[in-house]
Amino acid sequence: MKSFFKYLITILLIPLTIFFGVFLFGAHSYPAIMIIVAMLACVPFFLSFEGHSTPTRKIVLLAVMTALSVAGRFMFAPIPFFKPVTAIVIISAMYFGSEFGFLTGALSALISNLYFGQGPWTPLQMFSWGIIGFIAGLLSQPLIRRKIVLVLYAVFAGLAYSMLMDVWTAMWAEGTFSLSRFIAAVGTALPITAIYVISNVIFLLVLTPFFERKIERLKTKYGI
Amino acid sequence: MNTFRNFHPLTLALYFLSVIGISIFTFNPLYLSVGFFGSVLFLITLAGLRTTLKQLRLYIIIFIIVTATNPIFSHNGATVLFFINDNRITLEALVYGAVLGLMIVEVLVWFKCFNLVFDSERLLYLFGKAFPKLALVVSIALGFVPQFIRTFKSINSAQKSMNTKQGRVRRYLASFSAVITRSMESAIVTSDSMKSRGYGLRGRTHFSRFRFTSYDAVYLFLFLLMFVCTLPALLFGHAKVQFYPYISFANPTVSLLSFAVLAMIPSFFEVKEGLKWKYSISKI
Repeated sequence: MKSFFKYLITILLIPLTIFFGVFLFGAHSYPAIMIIVAMLACVPFFLSFEGHSTPTRKIVLLAVMTALSVAGRFMFAPIPFFKPVTAIVIISAMYFGSEFGFLTGALSALISNLYFGQGPWTPLQMFSWGIIGFIAGLLSQPLIRRKIVLVLYAVFAGLAYSMLMDVWTAMWAEGTFSLSRFIAAVGTALPITAIYVISNVIFLLVLTPFFERKIERLKTKYGI
Repeated sequence: MNTFRNFHPLTLALYFLSVIGISIFTFNPLYLSVGFFGSVLFLITLAGLRTTLKQLRLYIIIFIIVTATNPIFSHNGATVLFFINDNRITLEALVYGAVLGLMIVEVLVWFKCFNLVFDSERLLYLFGKAFPKLALVVSIALGFVPQFIRTFKSINSAQKSMNTKQGRVRRYLASFSAVITRSMESAIVTSDSMKSRGYGLRGRTHFSRFRFTSYDAVYLFLFLLMFVCTLPALLFGHAKVQFYPYISFANPTVSLLSFAVLAMIPSFFEVKEGLKWKYSISKI
C-alpha cells in the first residue's frame, strides 16, 4: 500500500510540475521543467527495483554491466565519440530484461557523470539511456533473433539519444523551444550523431555474438 | 579545518537545490548577477583564483555565443537595431540573450562548485537513503570501473606487442571483449562471496561517517529561512521581467537581499573558517 502511494505521488507530480512550471514561470523555465520531469520519470523504475527482492548475482551483474559501459568511455578515449555505452545498455536489456536495461542506462549516466562532472543534463541522460534500454528489453526476442532488427534499433537508439539531447540543448540556449534553433542544433551535431550511430552499429554487431557465447558459458559453468 | 564540504550531505543538497532553483526560475538579471557573484566567489575559495579565471574564460565564450545567437533566432521586440537579410535584429532579443547567457553561466559555475563539494561518497549516502539497493549497485560499480580500466590497459598492451599488424579499432574491440569475459566471471564469484558473507540477511546495519550536527541544523535553518524569504518574489511575480515588446522591470524587493545572503553564505563560511584556522595556528 505504501509503495502504491509512492508511485501515485510520482506520477501525479509530473503533470503538476508541467502545469505549475509553465503557468507560474513562463517559457524560459522549459529546460528546467524538462529536467525535473526526466528526474521524476526515473523514479518509478527505481522504486520497482527496490520493491521486489533481487538475487545477489543479478545485483552484481547489474553493477558489472554498468561499470563496463562507464569504463568503456575511458577505454575508447583515444577514439573520439566512439563509445560503447549505448551498445552495452542495449545488450544488457536484450539478455536480462527491460528493468535491467533501464537501470544499466540510468546508472551508467549517473556514474559516468561522477567522472566527467555532474550538470543539469544528468537526469536527462539518465532517462534517455534508461528508456533506450527499456525499449530494447521489450523487443528482446526480435533483437536476438534477427540481425537486421538489431542494426535498425542501433541506428534508432543513436538518433533518439542525439535528438533528445538536441531538444534540450536548443531549449537551454534559447530559454524556450523554437523549431529553427532545434534544426540548427541538430545540424551542428550531425557529424557527431553520424559517428555515434555508426559506432553503435559496430559495437552491437561485434559484441552481441560474443555476449551470447559468454552467457552460454556462464550458464553451463555456474548454472544460472 | 571546518569547511563548507563538511556539512551533512542533505544540508549541502538542499543548499544547491534552492540557490540553483531560484536562479533558473526568477530569470531576473538582478538575481542572476547576485547569484553569479556568489558562485564565482565560492569557486575562488574552493579552487583558487587561477583555476576560476581559467574556467571563466570558457564561460565567457558560452555567454557571448548565447547572447549573439539569440537575436538571429528571435525577432521579437520593438527596438530594431539593424537588419540582416530582411531579418530584424532587436535590442530586446539581444538583452534576452544576455540574460539567458548569464543564467546558463551561473548554473554552470554552481554545478562546478557542486562537483567540487559533493563527491561520490556524499551522492551515495543521499541516493542510498531513497534507494538502498541501487546505491549498493552504484558502489559496487564504482569499485569495478578503475579495476576494469586497469585490466583493459594490461590486455591491450599485451595484444599490441603480440599482433603488431592489427588495426587500432580492432585491437580495442578485442581487448574490450576480453575485459567483458573476465569481469562477468568475476561477478559471479563476487556475488557468491557476498552471499556466503551474509548479504541479504536481516538486521544489517550501514556505516556512514556523516552526522547531522547542531551546526547543520543552524545553517539549514538559515538556508531555508533565506529561501522562504525569496519565495514570494518567485510565486507572486515580484521578480518578473518582461522582455517583449519592451523591457520592463519590477522594483527589487527584500527578497533580492535574502537571495544575496543565500548566495554569499558558502564563500563567507569558507573565508571565516579559513581565518579562524590561520589565527589559531599563529597562536601556537
